[in-house]
Amino acid sequence: MSQQPPYTLVTGASSGIGRAIAERLVRSRRLILHGRDNGRLEETRSACARPESHLLWTHDFRQVAQVAPALTGLLIGQGMAVDGFVHCAGAVHVLPARSARLEAVLESLNVNYVAAQQIIATLLKKRVNPGRLRSVVVISSIWSQFGARGHSLYCASKAALDGMVRALAVELAPDVRVNSVLPGAVRTPMAEAALADPRIVEGLRQNYPLGLGQPADVAAAVEFLMSEDARWITGQQFVVDGGRTVNMSHK
Amino acid sequence: MNDFCTKIAEILDAESVNENDVLGDFQEWDSLSVLSTIAMLDAKYGVNVTAMDLKDVQTVADLWNLTQAKKKA
Repeated sequence: MSQQPPYTLVTGASSGIGRAIAERLVRSRRLILHGRDNGRLEETRSACARPESHLLWTHDFRQVAQVAPALTGLLIGQGMAVDGFVHCAGAVHVLPARSARLEAVLESLNVNYVAAQQIIATLLKKRVNPGRLRSVVVISSIWSQFGARGHSLYCASKAALDGMVRALAVELAPDVRVNSVLPGAVRTPMAEAALADPRIVEGLRQNYPLGLGQPADVAAAVEFLMSEDARWITGQQFVVDGGRTVNMSHK
Repeated sequence: MNDFCTKIAEILDAESVNENDVLGDFQEWDSLSVLSTIAMLDAKYGVNVTAMDLKDVQTVADLWNLTQAKKKA
């Protein structure tokens, strides 16, 4: 049943960065495109080359207990194997620490981290995906390494993801490579609105030596880490941020 | 509108807010609350409000009206 070519699973594929990753990986891989909204996922599939060879998986990662059973059912039901996994699904809650209600804390953790851990666990199961997984890339954030006001939930959940990556890189070697990509601020539809504010634009211009990034800049790094060219790279935090985090210039 | 007031109250650490409350009267209405409000309006209502937009907002109702206007735009 695993004789057909393996798939690469991309979560969060209906959003800006996730969609760019799908459009990039599709050049060399068959994809399972995951998202919350079937309509927007279909848009991603239509934007991909050879849309008919890619599958859709609609699931809300806030329902985290269902992630492993749902993915297990999908893979066994379709007789599919998965050799690559890119976790791009993410939730952002910007809240003062005093307002960090449990629901928001758990949603951040579940979507950004727990879902990824559950998917990897599933993809390592002998009866689901026997020995097929080769490479994992998770989309973390430069905020996993630093702090920002109102971002304690986001920073913590992305740091959890990076911790998982280091441990799994060791545990799963040499069969599976596990890396994370840490993007800085990227031009997505949400960011475009903020860019209407000249003060924000000026701040970004000072902070980002190479200016703001595009989703495709992140996708290129993901493609490299997923590829055989990165065969000796595992457990790394690959920063893709236009120089933001090394910029110590006085403002 | 009820749900909206609940969200604002949560950000301001107030038991409740009503539509005539003036945001600036809350000690907690600082830049962090403004940032949190902008993020909440994007996540829950799908609208992009800038810090500059908020300069003209006095009451909770003003903020609600701004959100509705942006939604239609």
